[in-house]
Amino acid sequence: MKILRKQDTRIPRRPLLWLAAALLFTLPPMFGTLPSWVPLLFLIALAAKFWMEPKGYHLRSLVWKLVLVALILSLLFFSYGSLRGIEPGVSLIVMLTSVKILEAHTAREFHIMIMVAWVLCLCGFFLSQNLAIALCLLIAFTLLLVGLIQFHRGSSSAFWPPVRTAGKLLAQATPLIVLLFLFFPRFSTGFRFQIASQRGSSTGFSDHLSPGSVSSLTNSSAVAFRAEFPDGKIPTLGAMYWRGVVMWHGEGLEWNAPKNPAALPKTSQSPLRSEGVRQWITIEPHDARWMFALDWPANWPSGARLAPGNYLWSDQPIHKPRRYEVTSYPEIPNNQPHLGEREPLLQLPAAISPAARALVQSWTTDKAAPRDIVEKALEFFRTQGFLYSPSPGEYGKNGLDEFLFHRRLGFCEHYAASFATLMRLAGVPARVVTGYLGGEYNEIGHFFLVRQADAHAWCEIWFPDLGWQRIDPTAVVAPDRVNLGFNSFLERRAAAGQLDNTQGVLARKLAHWPIFARARLGWQTLSYAWDTRVLSFDGEEQESFFASVGIAGHGPIFFIVGTLVIAIALLALYAGWTYLRTRPRGNRVKIMYEIFCRKAARLGAPRNPSEGPLDFSRRATRLLANDSERIRSIAEAYIALRYAPASDPMTLEQFAKEVSAFVRTS
Amino acid sequence: MRQGGSSKSRFPLAPTRSFAGLLFVLAAIWYAASSQNNAASYLLLFALMSVFLVSIPRTLSNLGGVQATAESIKPAFAGQEVSLPVEVTNESRATRYGIALTLPDLSDAREHIDEIPAGKAARTVLRFPAATRGEHQIGRLHLTSVYPLGFLKVLKQLPTPQRYVVYPKPAGDQRLPAETARSGQRSSRRELGEGDDFAGVRPYVRGESQRHIDWKAVARGQALMTKQFTAESDGLLYLDLAAVQLDDLEARLSQLALWIIEAERARRPYGLRLPAAEIPPSLGESHLHRCLRALALFK
Repeated sequence: MKILRKQDTRIPRRPLLWLAAALLFTLPPMFGTLPSWVPLLFLIALAAKFWMEPKGYHLRSLVWKLVLVALILSLLFFSYGSLRGIEPGVSLIVMLTSVKILEAHTAREFHIMIMVAWVLCLCGFFLSQNLAIALCLLIAFTLLLVGLIQFHRGSSSAFWPPVRTAGKLLAQATPLIVLLFLFFPRFSTGFRFQIASQRGSSTGFSDHLSPGSVSSLTNSSAVAFRAEFPDGKIPTLGAMYWRGVVMWHGEGLEWNAPKNPAALPKTSQSPLRSEGVRQWITIEPHDARWMFALDWPANWPSGARLAPGNYLWSDQPIHKPRRYEVTSYPEIPNNQPHLGEREPLLQLPAAISPAARALVQSWTTDKAAPRDIVEKALEFFRTQGFLYSPSPGEYGKNGLDEFLFHRRLGFCEHYAASFATLMRLAGVPARVVTGYLGGEYNEIGHFFLVRQADAHAWCEIWFPDLGWQRIDPTAVVAPDRVNLGFNSFLERRAAAGQLDNTQGVLARKLAHWPIFARARLGWQTLSYAWDTRVLSFDGEEQESFFASVGIAGHGPIFFIVGTLVIAIALLALYAGWTYLRTRPRGNRVKIMYEIFCRKAARLGAPRNPSEGPLDFSRRATRLLANDSERIRSIAEAYIALRYAPASDPMTLEQFAKEVSAFVRTS
Repeated sequence: MRQGGSSKSRFPLAPTRSFAGLLFVLAAIWYAASSQNNAASYLLLFALMSVFLVSIPRTLSNLGGVQATAESIKPAFAGQEVSLPVEVTNESRATRYGIALTLPDLSDAREHIDEIPAGKAARTVLRFPAATRGEHQIGRLHLTSVYPLGFLKVLKQLPTPQRYVVYPKPAGDQRLPAETARSGQRSSRRELGEGDDFAGVRPYVRGESQRHIDWKAVARGQALMTKQFTAESDGLLYLDLAAVQLDDLEARLSQLALWIIEAERARRPYGLRLPAAEIPPSLGESHLHRCLRALALFK
């Protein structure tokens, strides 16, 4: 005799599968940002769960749980040295989730795991926010919904219906999401928890130029920034010098920029003769403070300054995509020909070899003008067998001499650094500028995509009559690099057999098939839209959005209440529509029949509660002989609608018409 | 019996336990998004909020047009299980999912119906332990649904006035009394059952001995019939509450219930004598239930 049936509280397999699929999609942001053992252990826990679940095993013993947690904590501590910051925190959450996966086995814990998976989505956005990651997390989010829906649908084993329901839910939620995203106020809580800036090494750019620092980026297809020209004035590719950082301090082939440059006063600008080029630039987060603009930026966005050397410098490190507008002019705005202090601009490394001095002296004879010295130096690079190569090999301690007199093989940073050093040696003020050159035009989204591989370094020379002028020694050695952009330059070289990287060539050829090229452009455009429309929409952007639609100046409570009221109104509309769509059809028939009965009662034929429709109609036809025809047809229609297996809508309409016509004719 | 109207005495929507979890997750995402000013995290926050909000009308309407009809309940012995068959109909034009049936007044019995297509019906049986002897009322039948996301629970209360009877638990170690002439009514009443004189046939009841099946009739293509015989009985078996030598009333009733079953099994006609009522001796299923019912309702 069974006294109490034990409910089967185990998690059904199908929702668990959906949950596992969702968890898999939370993994991509973790690879590459966390130590690889973290997502791997997570995967192993997930696989173990599927092995354990049918056997009814789960992690029961408290001792084992504590041991596991202690093990995880110590592993994390060993690999990070501390548990503070984003990455260790996320790793901790991921590892504790793995333990929870092993432990959970009841239906109630399924909900907890879903919640945890949502937190993992959040963690993913903390690690990376690019479009690919966002799509992965969207899939994970949807799969979690599917899992929940499947869970509450119980054992119905169809595959698609829960997916469809989840899709419908998401589609219906989309207007609300847009509403909330645009209008829900973004507070900034005063306290910000610290982001560990360990990602700086992965981005290419640096405030330090050394041999190999730029060429190491040539294989990086990571996006540096994207630029739009809203006025349609697009400079030629060869003139597209994106100014990053100006380096004043030279040590031969190594140059340094000031760590924290001062701001130029706004008043120091001389009136500009030429027209500017407006740019909208969306910069990828690099956790440092440099910003990019075409040569030479004149006005700068808020939250940034113009540093001496006319380059942009953000007031805050850039941790998320940032979009700004800047206008550049083909000349340096505050380019006074009178150079105040020449000393720092002629600073030289402590040790300069006699050979280099002799070389420079051969240019500076008979009081040559700076212009002639520059020409001679460029002539030297052009004629003395210098070669341009993205992989020039290592240069040692005495790199300047080795480069100038022996190997003569270098990338742009070698040419820029050595050229500037030589100029200073010749008494001509010089500085090195690093940034990017060129970019890839996206004809779908109408923007330029500048990759890390487009990184470049060049020189600026001060002329007594003209002030600072850009001189790019790389252009002398490899003119195509400047005019075609780096990738096209490589392709031309590969075609000429100068590169033996056949794999790369194949990949590039594939990438140029029209369909792939289209797909790539489309993806870039989407990704650009994601960065500019979504990611950069922060509190400040929201303020200016409010201002542009004329509802600025209200407090956050106004917006919270406002958005919620609109959301609830939308929901009420939707609920009403759902009710109308799914309400029982029988009700309408019943209501109509009741109306008929009331009318009949008024005419003197009240229906007894115990009387069936047939009996009543027989009695009523006798009592109301005038309407006998109509009463009979109403009764027939009513019986058909209520008791026939399938009623067609025509009869319903007929019935409604008959009922409404019942009194009028009598 | 149809329970048409649903009385909604309280608000039909209530948060579930995982709603607290959702609130916690939302608060965590909000805090994280605002402290980092991270638009992607805000998007996640709003997506979760919106999906939850959109699920509210779905949850609310998930019981629209759903009616439950409790059917008649078979009596059970105390300690056994009572089975309440319920027919759940979906009169709406949409499929309804994940409906749970509970009996809040009786037990934590709970049955799930995974889905009912539009215009269709589903049947399920709620089982719960029959605790004490007597006649009980079902009270209310609750239909609940947390579909689709499980953060909110919609409730439909259906008053269910059905009654059911729980017989005393058959127990005791006293032997079935011998036929007694104590009643003094010596009669030449004939009893059906074991005996020599053929008294006719009646339909075969499953589980009966096959010895008396009228096989010849079966061979003629008729249904299974049991031949009945009678024997002269020299006494009547009266099961008397007052005659049970036990202190506790419930134990005495249990003993009587056991005797009734034993007598029925032995096919010995038995009667029941209670202080307020007397059931004359007889045999058969309806007699059995009549006697047990009298025990169940005994005050």
